Amino acid sequence: MRRVVVLIAAIAIAACSGGSRQAAGGAAGHRLRFAVIPKSLDIPVFNYAKIGAERKARELGDVDILWNAPTSADQLQQKEILESYITQRVDGIAISALNGDFLTDTINRAIDAGIPVVTWDSDAPNSKRIAFYGVDDLASGRIMGEQAVKLLDGKGKVAIITSVGATNLQRRLDGMKEALAKAPGIQVVETYDIKEDAVRCAEIISTGTRRYPDLAAWLSVGGWPVFTRNATAPIDPSKTKVISFDTIQPALDLLREGKVTVLLGQKYFGWGSEPVQILYDLKHGKRPPATIIDSGVDVVTKDNVDDYAARWKKMESGG
Amino acid sequence: MKRLWQIRELSTVVILALEIAFFTWWLWPEAGRTHPFFNGENALLILKYSSIYAIAAIGAAIVIISGGIDLAPGAVMALTGVIGSNLFVVHGWSLAASMTVGVATGLATGLLSATLIVAAPLPPFIATLGMMGIARGAAFIITEGQYFDVSSRLLGGWRPFGVPADWVAPIVMIVLAIIFQVLMTGFQWGRAVFSVGGNETAALFSGIAVNRVKFSVYAIAGLLAGVSGVVLVLVQGQGKADLANGYELDIIASAVVGGASLSGGRGSVIGAVLGTLIFGVLRNALPQIPGATFYDRLIVGVVVIAIVVMDQTLLKKRV
Repeated sequence: MRRVVVLIAAIAIAACSGGSRQAAGGAAGHRLRFAVIPKSLDIPVFNYAKIGAERKARELGDVDILWNAPTSADQLQQKEILESYITQRVDGIAISALNGDFLTDTINRAIDAGIPVVTWDSDAPNSKRIAFYGVDDLASGRIMGEQAVKLLDGKGKVAIITSVGATNLQRRLDGMKEALAKAPGIQVVETYDIKEDAVRCAEIISTGTRRYPDLAAWLSVGGWPVFTRNATAPIDPSKTKVISFDTIQPALDLLREGKVTVLLGQKYFGWGSEPVQILYDLKHGKRPPATIIDSGVDVVTKDNVDDYAARWKKMESGG
Repeated sequence: MKRLWQIRELSTVVILALEIAFFTWWLWPEAGRTHPFFNGENALLILKYSSIYAIAAIGAAIVIISGGIDLAPGAVMALTGVIGSNLFVVHGWSLAASMTVGVATGLATGLLSATLIVAAPLPPFIATLGMMGIARGAAFIITEGQYFDVSSRLLGGWRPFGVPADWVAPIVMIVLAIIFQVLMTGFQWGRAVFSVGGNETAALFSGIAVNRVKFSVYAIAGLLAGVSGVVLVLVQGQGKADLANGYELDIIASAVVGGASLSGGRGSVIGAVLGTLIFGVLRNALPQIPGATFYDRLIVGVVVIAIVVMDQTLLKKRV
């Protein structure tokens, strides 16, 4: 019996001393825990945001990154993850919202609980989030449309590839259609919904290329056609141009070889590093210069692809 | 004529022929242009993409005939593809060795499901649901949200044994369909699968090793899902954890459309392959009709119900 009492007492003392150590650390510059939540784990570009966030955390020295997301785009699961970080009382949250309106109340709850929230890539504009870092999707869609008009000299048939349901893709699509409408010579023969299935994208490109042999361009608001060589294989680049979002390999090689003509790259590394910096500054009493921080897009063509690839390599290796 | 109609596969062939006739008529080109749907190259395209589903559907049909269900093939396809492409791209293994390990992984998942169903014993729905999660999860762990670009390592017109790359998947599908059709109809094992699915107790009393039969069907389903995963990698040119997401339902639907009864004891391997072709034609033809891309989910749903209702009506007449 005495042994049990001694054991319980020892555990209690250890627990108290641990607790006091934690409390002391919290008061005097403990390590900051920032949760970084992408839309899902199955989208390759988000891994570069992870690299960016972790590199920034190493630079800052006293920051730990908690990287978590649903395995595939699931709004409810993302909300659950966000809520779990609120109850864990992390020091800050950076999130790319699958559905901004759906997450508004939860983001507001985090802010009310004293946890700063920064959105990135995909915003929750009606929430109390401190700032948004990312591309203006409408503007980037417009840029894609303008590139197509310029490339095609304002005339020809084009087919668009999208995946219905994602807010940011819809805004890119709206921006692109807005720019294409300014060139009456351009005819959108079809807007294909690939349902977030890369195999379906390749199948549709094969079928569509056969259906419209005089197609002047394929325009894709997501990177599905350029993540594998097989998807664009049926296209004859002398007849049909490809303009696509995203610049992950083999996209840049396809651009060099002339299979793809224009790529639009986002600030993938910045998605991770910038929100972490904003959260860190907030913890040190410095607010961001603006609520909306437009990252802009990189327009990559054959002319600047080598320069872009060199910059990419440097960022990937942590330079 | 009446006897001919009693061959179950024949009604699926008739449905497929009617479908092809309909789209040939609907997509009839203007004078002087080649038909965009009814031509040899397009037929090869349909076969190529359908084979991804069809090989796994052979396994699904056998499982369903035995009175079971397998929810894992989509996830197993992703896992085998990821493992095979990882060995090929990252570790520099030969294509044959990498893909053999991929197929072996499929077999291993099948053996694990079979053990859980026979030895534990767990209901097949639960065991394969668990396997679906395990396989998809393992694929995500390996890729960490990235993908392995096989297409860049298969440059320069890959021709195994002199066969053009586009023909590989259809040939594998046809060979496996013939092998398993013969095994199911001409061998004792196949008849035992039908008996177990028709009436398990009666099969047990008639001396059939029910557990051994059940074990074999899930192992074969895993093996065939593994082959499907390898075919997927070769067709798509990438190994990615979120590929084939939700394909298990398309695969089961194909088997059912091809005549398999979810209560067991009825169905056919060739029927399942024809079922995938019915969906393959829809996936190919609908994108050729302007505006149909947003309707194809609905159309596929209606087609499944219509064919099964028609099949059941005909079955009553046959009886």
